[in-house]
Amino acid sequence: MYEQRTNCGHHPAGVSEQRLGRWLAACLAVFLWIGQGRVAGVAAVESPTAVVQQTADAVVAVLADKSLTTKEKRAKVEQIVYAHFDFTTLSKLVLARNWKQLSPEQQHDFVEEFKRHLSVTYGRNVETYNNERAVITGDRQESNGDWTVKTKIVRPSAEDILVDYRLRQQDGEWRVIDVIIEGVSLVANFRSQFQEILTSSNADHLIQLLREKNAKGEPLKS
Amino acid sequence: MRRRGDTVSWLRYLTLAVVLVGLAGLPLPAHAAAAAEAESNHDPLEGFNRGMFWFNDKLDLYVIEPVAKGWDKVMPDAVQHSIRNFFSNLRFPIVAGNALLQAKFKQAGSDVGRFVVNTTVGVAGFFDPATGWGLPAHDEDFGQTLGYWGTPPGPYLVLPFFGPSDPRDTVGLAADSFSTVYPFFIVYYYTFGARAIDLVNTRAHYLKQVKEAKEASLDYYSAVRNAYVRRRKALVNDETGISEKEAEYLYNVDTDEE
Repeated sequence: MYEQRTNCGHHPAGVSEQRLGRWLAACLAVFLWIGQGRVAGVAAVESPTAVVQQTADAVVAVLADKSLTTKEKRAKVEQIVYAHFDFTTLSKLVLARNWKQLSPEQQHDFVEEFKRHLSVTYGRNVETYNNERAVITGDRQESNGDWTVKTKIVRPSAEDILVDYRLRQQDGEWRVIDVIIEGVSLVANFRSQFQEILTSSNADHLIQLLREKNAKGEPLKS
Repeated sequence: MRRRGDTVSWLRYLTLAVVLVGLAGLPLPAHAAAAAEAESNHDPLEGFNRGMFWFNDKLDLYVIEPVAKGWDKVMPDAVQHSIRNFFSNLRFPIVAGNALLQAKFKQAGSDVGRFVVNTTVGVAGFFDPATGWGLPAHDEDFGQTLGYWGTPPGPYLVLPFFGPSDPRDTVGLAADSFSTVYPFFIVYYYTFGARAIDLVNTRAHYLKQVKEAKEASLDYYSAVRNAYVRRRKALVNDETGISEKEAEYLYNVDTDEE
């Protein structure tokens, strides 16, 4: 069994037709077996494009639901977004080589505070939703296995905004690891800011700054 | 009269530009250059820039933003949108001219069509039927033209009043100031008024975005710098994504503890 698996990707040299057929059948069986193990409990592995589409649709559905209060909308949107963003990878990419210098506690705190920071600042958009729609315009696989899904946000009385999502697969699931708005990457933007702060002070200070900012930004304006 | 005024400010731009293009040649180690490009952190004029940034920010905070807020309160969204259309239409010579200079003939043709449609059917540009008819707006300027033909941007530079820029885009800004429609259609002393309305109306459009950007950032200065450098690069290359080289730097970070 194990031997068959390792050979799957290559052309088996010097085998007869019959043996080739048996070999393919074995490969298929192994493939199915691996597939089943991986997706146990999940209906199917969602493609990156499907993940973005479903996330966008779910968020728009919540925002357009007039029966919900702003607070309820925000909680629901947060829940949807949290499920499809990989904040640990996002945090690692944002801190880059500085990540290793953080203790496990600092790393944990950073991920939590950074996640909250994004939620606090961008969550405000829930209040000003104005019938914007997200339209997927294309996708492509990146050389390192990541996937980019290109979208545009269509606004009723303003220009479209181009937004790319970069997704990475982990444990069979595609999650967002960067958002690129009109060519400006969220990861790159925060990396340059945090680099500036870490150069002049340290990780504890950075986490403290995030914490203070989050505490100040927490209350929701009507 | 206005010609002379323009020449004086043009000369001032030129002198500034020459000095800054000189500075652009400041040496930078190769590996640092690649890193800096991806992070948009290369900022040898940071001291000067932060000073100018502070000045512009205060000017905005105490003068422009309050006026824009007032404007936003009185002017209905539809009116603001129409005014944006009007001024965007006036940028036609810059947008189409620079498309031509970049040998984007089809795009320039589309821009001519757009200008004709919006100036006539769109009532002097206040409405934008052209976008719906397959003649979308394009964003071109002389800074992009220079970049298109290989001129490097040089170090990040914050200009007083004009905000984030670089030597290349400063030259572009000066060149473009010659080619707006203003001198042809509007009498000189009205142009100040027109420019003020354009500025306030545009600022009103970005009230929410600027507020959000300030709240979202821990170091607003470097957030703006990164966004400016990245956005200009994307515009020059007519792309919205991340280049392979930058992707390598951004997404293939070795952060595993093992």
